Amino acid sequence: MMETLSALTGLMAPAQLAFPEEVAGSVLAPYLLVSASMFVIGLIGFLTRKNMIIMFLCTELMFQAAGLALIAFGRHHLGADGQTFVIFVLCVAAAEAAMALALVVLLFRHRETLGASAWKELNG
Amino acid sequence: MMTASLINTLSAPLAMAPESQGPAAHLEHLVSHVGTGPGWVLLIPFLPLLGCALCGIYAFTGVKSKLPAWTTVGLLAIAFIATLSMFMGYDGEPYTVQAFEWFNLHYGERSFIANFSFFIDKLTILWMLFVTGLATLIALYASEYMAHDQGMGYCRFFAAFNLFVFSMACLVMGDNLIMLYLGWEGVGLCSYLLIGYFYKKPDAVAAAKKAFIVNRIGDLGLALGIYLTFVHFGTVQYAELFSSDKLHGYISAAAVGDFSMIPSQAQWIALLMMIGAFGKSAQFPLYVWLPDAMEGPTPVSALIHAATMVTAGVYLIARMYPVFLVSEHALPTVAWIGTITAVLAATIGMAQFDIKRIMAYSTVSQLGYMFAGLGLLTTTGAAFHVLTHAFFKALLFLACGAVMHGFAGQLDLRKLSGVAWMKGWGIVGVTMLVGCMNLAGLPYITSGFYSKDMILAEAFITPGYAVIGWILVATAILTAYYTFRVYFRVFVGPQHAEPGDEYHEELAEERVKAEHEEEDHGHHHFHPHAPGWAINAVLIVLAVASMLAIALAYIDKAEHYGWVGSMVAESTASFHSPYAAEAHHAHVDHVAPHAVAGPVGTAAPGTVFGMDAHNAMILISGIGAIVGVLIAAFLHGPKGWQGLFLGNRERADTTRMDAVARRAGPLPRWAENKWFVDEFYHAVLVTPLRVISHIFHWIDKLLIDGLVNIFGFLPRVFAWIIRPSQSGVLQGYAVSMAGGLAVILFVVLVFVVRAGGGA
Amino acid sequence: MEQIIDPIALYLICGLGAAGIALALPRRTPNGGRGLVITGAIVLAFAFGLAALLMGLRANDNGNPQPNFFFYPFALIALGSAIRVITHKRPVYSALYFIMTIIASCGLYLLLSAEFLAFALVIIYAGAILITYLFVIMLATQAPTGEDDSMLGEVDAESREPILASVIGFVLVGLLTAAMFSGVGRLPEPVMTQARAQDGVLAYLPGKADKVLARNGLLDGGWRVARDPETGMAVIDPDERISRIELIEGEDAHGEPLIVATRTLGPEDWPEELRANNLDRLGYNLLNDHPMMIEVAGIILLMAMLGATVLARKHVELEEDLKATQARRLGTMFPEDPHGVTESGGAS
Repeated sequence: MMETLSALTGLMAPAQLAFPEEVAGSVLAPYLLVSASMFVIGLIGFLTRKNMIIMFLCTELMFQAAGLALIAFGRHHLGADGQTFVIFVLCVAAAEAAMALALVVLLFRHRETLGASAWKELNG
Repeated sequence: MMTASLINTLSAPLAMAPESQGPAAHLEHLVSHVGTGPGWVLLIPFLPLLGCALCGIYAFTGVKSKLPAWTTVGLLAIAFIATLSMFMGYDGEPYTVQAFEWFNLHYGERSFIANFSFFIDKLTILWMLFVTGLATLIALYASEYMAHDQGMGYCRFFAAFNLFVFSMACLVMGDNLIMLYLGWEGVGLCSYLLIGYFYKKPDAVAAAKKAFIVNRIGDLGLALGIYLTFVHFGTVQYAELFSSDKLHGYISAAAVGDFSMIPSQAQWIALLMMIGAFGKSAQFPLYVWLPDAMEGPTPVSALIHAATMVTAGVYLIARMYPVFLVSEHALPTVAWIGTITAVLAATIGMAQFDIKRIMAYSTVSQLGYMFAGLGLLTTTGAAFHVLTHAFFKALLFLACGAVMHGFAGQLDLRKLSGVAWMKGWGIVGVTMLVGCMNLAGLPYITSGFYSKDMILAEAFITPGYAVIGWILVATAILTAYYTFRVYFRVFVGPQHAEPGDEYHEELAEERVKAEHEEEDHGHHHFHPHAPGWAINAVLIVLAVASMLAIALAYIDKAEHYGWVGSMVAESTASFHSPYAAEAHHAHVDHVAPHAVAGPVGTAAPGTVFGMDAHNAMILISGIGAIVGVLIAAFLHGPKGWQGLFLGNRERADTTRMDAVARRAGPLPRWAENKWFVDEFYHAVLVTPLRVISHIFHWIDKLLIDGLVNIFGFLPRVFAWIIRPSQSGVLQGYAVSMAGGLAVILFVVLVFVVRAGGGA
Repeated sequence: MEQIIDPIALYLICGLGAAGIALALPRRTPNGGRGLVITGAIVLAFAFGLAALLMGLRANDNGNPQPNFFFYPFALIALGSAIRVITHKRPVYSALYFIMTIIASCGLYLLLSAEFLAFALVIIYAGAILITYLFVIMLATQAPTGEDDSMLGEVDAESREPILASVIGFVLVGLLTAAMFSGVGRLPEPVMTQARAQDGVLAYLPGKADKVLARNGLLDGGWRVARDPETGMAVIDPDERISRIELIEGEDAHGEPLIVATRTLGPEDWPEELRANNLDRLGYNLLNDHPMMIEVAGIILLMAMLGATVLARKHVELEEDLKATQARRLGTMFPEDPHGVTESGGAS
C-alpha cells in the first residue's frame, strides 16, 4: 500500500511536469507500448468491421500508430529522420485516403452497400 | 529336326561347285563394277509420283471427267517405255542412279548411308517390266471399271494407284534396304488405301485393317532384318553388302556346308526377312489377309493383290539371296512354308463360291509355288512363275472383274451360268479360258505350265525334296480342278444370271440406278452391261501376253533355262541348284545320268523315274492338270460338248458336286470355311489378346491412371484444404497477415532472441 | 531496454484489453448491446489503469526515467478514442473519434518534441483527410437518423469474428511488447549530445545565424557570420558556444566577397536565441538528406489525385450486364418514353 502511494506521488513528481525538452534520458518504451496498442486496435477494427469506410479509418489508425513509433524512435536518437518519415507517412495516408475513398464511392455505386464481402467474387 | 537334315542335303551340292567359280566369286564378279546410269531412269519411279500429285490436284479442283485415268495411263505408259529402253540399253553391268542424298550419317568409324538412289540390274529390270506394263494395262482397264465412281473416288483411286506404282518402283529399284523398306511400307499403305476404297462398306474397312495389321507382323520381321543387316554388315546398300568380304566368307563356308562358321546373327537376318516376305506375299500363316483384300476394287486385286505387290516377298528373297544362302534354316523353311501354303490355299479355293475369292486363294497357292521354288534354289523358276502368274492371274482377275462389273457385283458362281454365250461377253469368255488354262498349267500350250514345271522339276531332282514335288503335283491337280470349276460353272452352260445386290448399285450413276429400278418394276429381268472396249482390249492384250510368254521358256534355253533365267543369272539372285545344272547338262549333252532310277524320294540327283526331270514333269504335271480339268468337267460341267461330254449340269446351281459333297461328310464345309483358320486365329490370337488387352486396360485404368490421378488428386486435396483461405473476404487475408506476423514474431522470440541471448 | 512493466502483468492486461474490445465491438442484441459495451468499457478502463499503475510502480522501483505526466492522459485519450473508432456503430461518430485520436496523438508528438508535425497532423489529418472521410460517409451511407440503432444496416451493426480478431490482435501486442522488452529493439544510446543534435544544424544555416546575431546587436554594418570558404558553412561551434564573424567589403577579382576583417565571439556573447528549432532541423533533414523522397512523394500524390479523379467520375464504365440491368430497370420505370432507356442509361 505504501509502495502504491509512493508510486502515485512519484507520478506526480514536479520535475515531470516540466515540458519535453527538459526531460532527460530516453522514455521510448511507453510510447512504443501506446503505438503497438493503437496499431492493434486498428488491426482489430480492420478485421472485425464490415463497413469499408471504417476499415479504411482503421488503416489510418495503423498509420497513426506507425507515425507515433517513428516519432518516438526519432526522439530517442535525437535526429530528425523520424519526423521526416512521418511526413511521408502523412503523404501516403493522404494519397491512400483519396484513392480509397474514391474507390469506396465507386464500389458503393455498384452494389449499393459498403460491405466488403459484397465483392467476394473478386477472389479469382 | 527335319529342316536341319534337309539343309544338309541342300548344302551338299554347294560343295560340289568348283571353287574357282564358287558362288562367292560369282557374286564378287556381279557387283564389282557398279557404275552410274543415265538420269532418265528416274522417270520410272517419279512419273507415277507426278501422276499421284496430279490426281491429288484433280481431286481438289473437283475434276469429274476421266482425266485422272488418262493421266495415269499416259504416265505409266511412258514409265513402261522408259523401262523397256532401260532393258534394251542394259549392257550387263549393274549401275546406280541417284535421285538425291537421303541418309548420310557418319559416327566414328562407321557410317550409315542410304541415298534415294536406284540400283539397276537385270532382276530389277525384269520386275519393273511387268510392274509398269501391267500397271499401264490395268489403269486402262480401271478407267472403265471405275467409271461409276467418276467425280467421287475416281481421283482418289488413281492417286493411290500411282502412289502404289511409285512405291513398288522404290521397292524394286532402290539401291539399299532402306529404299526397299520405304517401298515396302508404301505398297502396304496403298494396299490399305485401296482395299478400303469403299470405305462406307464395313467389310472393306475391316479387310483393309486386317491386311495392314497382318502385314505389320511381317514388316516387323523385315525391319529387324534390315537392322540386323546394318548391325552385322555395317551397310544397307546392296552393292556394298554383296561385295563385302564378310558375306563372301560366309558364302564360301555355306558352300562347303559348314554353317557353324557363320555367326547366328548373320543367319537370323534371312529368317527375319523371310517373315517379312511371308507377310507381304501372303504365305502361311500370314496369308489370311489376302482373300479378304478382295473387298477392294477388282483392278486393285489384279494389280496389287495378284500380280505385283504380293510378289514383293519373292523379290526380297531373290534380291537378298546371298544372305539367304548363308542361313542354315531359311531356305528349307521357305520351301516348306511355300508348299504348305500352296496346298492349303488350293484346298480352300476348291470349296469357295465367290469367284474372286477363288482367284485370291489361287494367288496364295501360286505364291506358295514361287516360295517353294525359291526354297529349292531355283530363283529362275520362281521368277518365271512370278512373271507368267502376273499375266494370267491379272487376266483372270480382270475377267472376273468384268463379270462382277457387268452383273452388278454378282460373284457367286451358283448364280451365274453361261456368261460366255451372252451378247458382248465372248471376249471375256475366251480370255478367261486362256487364263484358266494357264493357271491349270495345261502342258505345252500354256506359259503357266512351263514356269510351274521348272519348280516341280527342281523339287524332284533335289534329294530329299521329292515329297515337296509330289505335294505340289497334287496341288497342281487341285488347281486345275478349282480353276475349271469356275469356268465350267460361270462361263459355259445354260445362260442364267442373277444380279448382285450390293454397294455397286448404290454407288452407280443416277442413270444406271434409274434403269435398274425400271427393270425391277417391270419384268424382273436383268440385263448385264457387257464390258466396253477398254476392258476387252486389256483382256486381249493380257491373254496374248500369257500365251506369248511360252516363248520365253525357249529363249536362251540352252544356257539359262529360258529368258527369265538369263535375266536372273546376271543378278544377285543368280543361284541355282548344281543338281539342275548337272541334270540339264546331262540332258543337253545326251549323257546318261550317272545315277540309276530308284524308289520315289530316293531318286538320284537329276532324274525322276530315270528320266530327265523336265521331261518327266511334262508327263506328271501335264497329266495332273488334264485330270484336274476332267474332274472339274465331270463334277461341274454342263451337259453336252461344253462340259466335254462329261458333265450333266442343266441349271446354274445343281451339279454332281452336290451329291459328292453330301457324301464327303464335313470336309467340303470345312474347306468352305477356310479350314477355320480365321476362327483359329481368332481363338488363339485375337481373343487372348483381347482378354489381355482388357486386363491391361483395367490395369492401366486402375493402377497407372490411378497413380497418375493420385498425383493429380493430391494437389487438388491440398488446394481443397487451402482454397477457403482465398475466400475473397478482405478480412480473411488480413487475419492471415496478422496471424503470420504473430507466428513470425513468436518464432523470432523463441528461437532467435532466446538462443542468441543464451549465447 | 529495461522492462517498464512486468511481463505477466502485461499479458494479463493484454487479455483484459482483448476481452474488453471483444465485448465492446458492435453486435446485434435486443437492447442494442449497450450493456456489453459498458462492460467492455469498464474492463478496458481497468486494464488501462492497471497498466499505468504497474508502469509507474515499476519505474519507481528501478529508477528509470519516467514519461512526462501528460503522457498518461494523452495516451488514455488516444487509445480510448481509437477503441471507440472501431466499436462505434455509426461511421460518422467513428470518424469524429478518430479526430480525437489524432489530437491526442498530437499531444504525444508534442511530448516527443515534434511540434511541427503535431500541428501538421492536426491540419492534415483532422482538417483534411477526416473531412474527406466525413464527406464520403455522408455520400455513401444511408444511415437512419434518430437514436434507434436497430435501423442500422448489417454492415455497421455487426462485426465479424470479434473474439478471434481481438485474441489475434492482443496476442500480437503481447508478442510485440515481449520482443521489445526482451531486447529485440536493444537500441544504442544516442551518440551525440543533445545540444549538438539540436543545434548542429545551425552551421548549415548561416543566414539564420546572421539574422539572430544582428537582432541581438552583435553585428555591425557589413559584418556577418564567417563562412567556411570551401563548404559555405557558418563557422559556429554550438557546443562551445563560439562563433566567428567577418567584415565584407565589395568583391574580389573572382566575384567572391572580399573579407576585410574577422572576429570571434565567445560564449558570453552567444545569444540564447541562437538555437535550431524543430522546424529548422526537420526542414534541413528533409531537403538535405531526402530530396529524392520528396520527388517520390510528389509523384504518389499526383497519381492519387489522377486516380481519385478517374475513379470518382460521374460516368463510370459499368459492366455490360450491369448496364443491361439498369437499362431494363429504367425501361420499366419509363415505359412510354422510347428514348428513355438510352437517355437514362447515359445519364446514370
